[in-house]
Amino acid sequence: MTPPRLEVPVDFGFTEEHALLRGEARRFLAERLPIAELRRRVDGGVRLDRDLWKEIAGLGWVGLVLPERHGGAGLGWLHLAILIEEMGRRLVPGPFLGSLLAGVALERAGDDAQRERWLPAIAAGETIATLALVEPGGAFEPDAIVASADPVAGGYVLRGRRCHVVGGADSDLVVAAFREPSGGIALFAVELPAPGVAVEEEISIDPSRPTARLAFDGVRVGADARLAGDGAGALAASLVRGCAALAAEQVGGAESILQLTRQYAIDRKQFDRQIGFFQAVKHPIVDLMCGIELARSLAYGAAAALDAGSPSGEVHARMAKALAGDVYAQAGRKGVQLHGGFGFTWDCDVHLYLRRALWSRPMLGDAIHHRKRLAGVLFGPG
Amino acid sequence: MARPEDATESRENAEFRREARGWIEAHKPADPGFKLPQSFLEVESERQFAFLRDWQRKVYEAGYLGLDWPAEYGGRSDPHKRQRIVSQELHRAGAPFMVNVIGLQWAGPTILAYGTEEQKRRYLKNILSAEEIWCQGFSEPGAGSDLASLQATATPTDQGWVVTGHKVWTTLAHFARWMILLARTDPAANKYAGISYFLFPMDAPGVTVQPLVKMTGEGGFNQVIFERAPMPHDALLGQLGQGWQIAMTTLTFERGAAEGTGGGSAASAGESVRAVAALAKRMRRDGRPAADDPVLRDRLAQLWIEEEALRLTGQRARIAGLNVDDRPLATRLMNKVVYSEFGQRLTELACEVLGPDAALWLGDPSAPDRAEWPRAYLNSFGMTIGGGTSEVQRNIIGERVLGLPKTK
Repeated sequence: MTPPRLEVPVDFGFTEEHALLRGEARRFLAERLPIAELRRRVDGGVRLDRDLWKEIAGLGWVGLVLPERHGGAGLGWLHLAILIEEMGRRLVPGPFLGSLLAGVALERAGDDAQRERWLPAIAAGETIATLALVEPGGAFEPDAIVASADPVAGGYVLRGRRCHVVGGADSDLVVAAFREPSGGIALFAVELPAPGVAVEEEISIDPSRPTARLAFDGVRVGADARLAGDGAGALAASLVRGCAALAAEQVGGAESILQLTRQYAIDRKQFDRQIGFFQAVKHPIVDLMCGIELARSLAYGAAAALDAGSPSGEVHARMAKALAGDVYAQAGRKGVQLHGGFGFTWDCDVHLYLRRALWSRPMLGDAIHHRKRLAGVLFGPG
Repeated sequence: MARPEDATESRENAEFRREARGWIEAHKPADPGFKLPQSFLEVESERQFAFLRDWQRKVYEAGYLGLDWPAEYGGRSDPHKRQRIVSQELHRAGAPFMVNVIGLQWAGPTILAYGTEEQKRRYLKNILSAEEIWCQGFSEPGAGSDLASLQATATPTDQGWVVTGHKVWTTLAHFARWMILLARTDPAANKYAGISYFLFPMDAPGVTVQPLVKMTGEGGFNQVIFERAPMPHDALLGQLGQGWQIAMTTLTFERGAAEGTGGGSAASAGESVRAVAALAKRMRRDGRPAADDPVLRDRLAQLWIEEEALRLTGQRARIAGLNVDDRPLATRLMNKVVYSEFGQRLTELACEVLGPDAALWLGDPSAPDRAEWPRAYLNSFGMTIGGGTSEVQRNIIGERVLGLPKTK
């Protein structure tokens, strides 16, 4: 097998609409979620603001990539990348990522009745949904799932555990993959709370992204909880899209660290000079910018490839997640360091981004994970 | 779910790409049987030069060079920006590079931007056809990274000017008909305002070209000594004292040159990582194909990611809405430093893939791939140093793009 030709439309499929969405998102978030407001929520232990969530849904963001016939905006992944990049710049708290991926999984694996039952409510912000991916031990790709679904009269019994579930403690609906006796993977949608589903809040390194552990301890669900379509395919598609989306969010967060650090290097004086004068400070900031721009290209490229239905979508999404994850973490490390003593304090905003970077780097696979799979494509079998 | 390639570019561009690919495959010169330079930095011999000049002329005459240049100066005024497609196809085919690269990428665009009508008509067509080769006289022994401290002088005479001074790293000077030259015209002015930009005739008396030997052992660049070497009034480009400003324009072309008109150089995007992957399949490590080594696989996968990111960044740089609005220059100005450093890391990794055989040099009969990988690695420093070192590039990006305090 030779590597796929990496195809992204030469114009990225970009239109003026994308710029409008970016402007709208930037204005809204600057007004509603300045960093002081984010800190107020984090310090106050606010896990979910349903009013804000409904407002965001009202802007069309929650259902952005869902089909219009199911209440979504019917827009593409480049739109989503631009939106979530802006959200990443502001560390927007809440269940957006989980909701996004649950929507993708439901849309891909559900039949019409299942889509109609859940998607419009998700897009409207009335139902908060999440996709529960990670099993204890860290596995999340379809071939590694050990949780089981056993058929019984009138439905199934689900057994298994998931952790790091975004918005898990606030979700009304959880979508998760289970292995069936045939060995295949099926997706199930379980409305919460449900008997037998234990939800335990995790203490997340990133206080702006609350997560939970879920235990399915012999949970009985009806036959209609099993999504009708190809579960493994829908899960794989959700992971690819999650990588593209999370990469764009990481780019946004890294961009904020760059802006904070750049400003600090201009404002802070030592040895009678602005510290940004010194090349030991200046050059790492430049390297940070270069890394961000490269990761941004891959994030947009992955989104554009997905929109174009290009066969390179998965390769591009894995590349984007690998590079953006590392760039964000490096931005956090350099950002704290270049802020000196102030950087080590709770008051400096950089650590809020560093925490998000450390949360999101391993989720949906870190660079080591993706490079291993990319090498398989680059070198081919044998 | 494969899609046809033309689904991702316009039908006419895809058609043009197919035509260009077909033409290149049909006309690409065969291996001449002697060592070819890896880039324009090491064109040593007359036969190498003649081989490369013939190829550029052939490409131009077939209509595949100067597409973006105005038709009245020998170009084709192509509205579709399709020179890039030709460059990609030349690189993909492993075709030789365009030998008049300094004319094509730096002198030509600068003359287009600042030249008089007469200058444009005089110089541009012969750049495209490789009829007249160009070299660049910017750096001096005492003026490298601090280019503005240059000391060569141009003194006015009745017939024009006479130049006295010493330029170094003058690639292609031994084949060049013209030089883009920076010289001081007002020693009393501050170091930026005292510089002017000239189009200097290399056949003038008082010019001595002396070859320098690169660390690869190859020639190809030179130093040039000027002893009261004359040039006419109309050798001046732009206004008197405008030289620094024009030079910055030239360097922007140079630093954004990765997508220019070449094939072949280490700074080209494309199939380079795949070539190293193919090398790893041929080489052995621990008694198995080197391509089975998990550490090597991981490192090459990282470079594959970066190579694709570079390619897409070049593509994205042309779409205003996909660049961060407060630094539109970022993706263009970072091009030189990220491409050249990528090329250096890739060729260095290729040497590691070779294992102990990386120790063999040009001419050894057992050297894998005739030692082109170690040669490419050593040559990669020409890219990270030439045209402004990576360190100076970082100053420029930090100051011009990010607004950090100036180093000067």
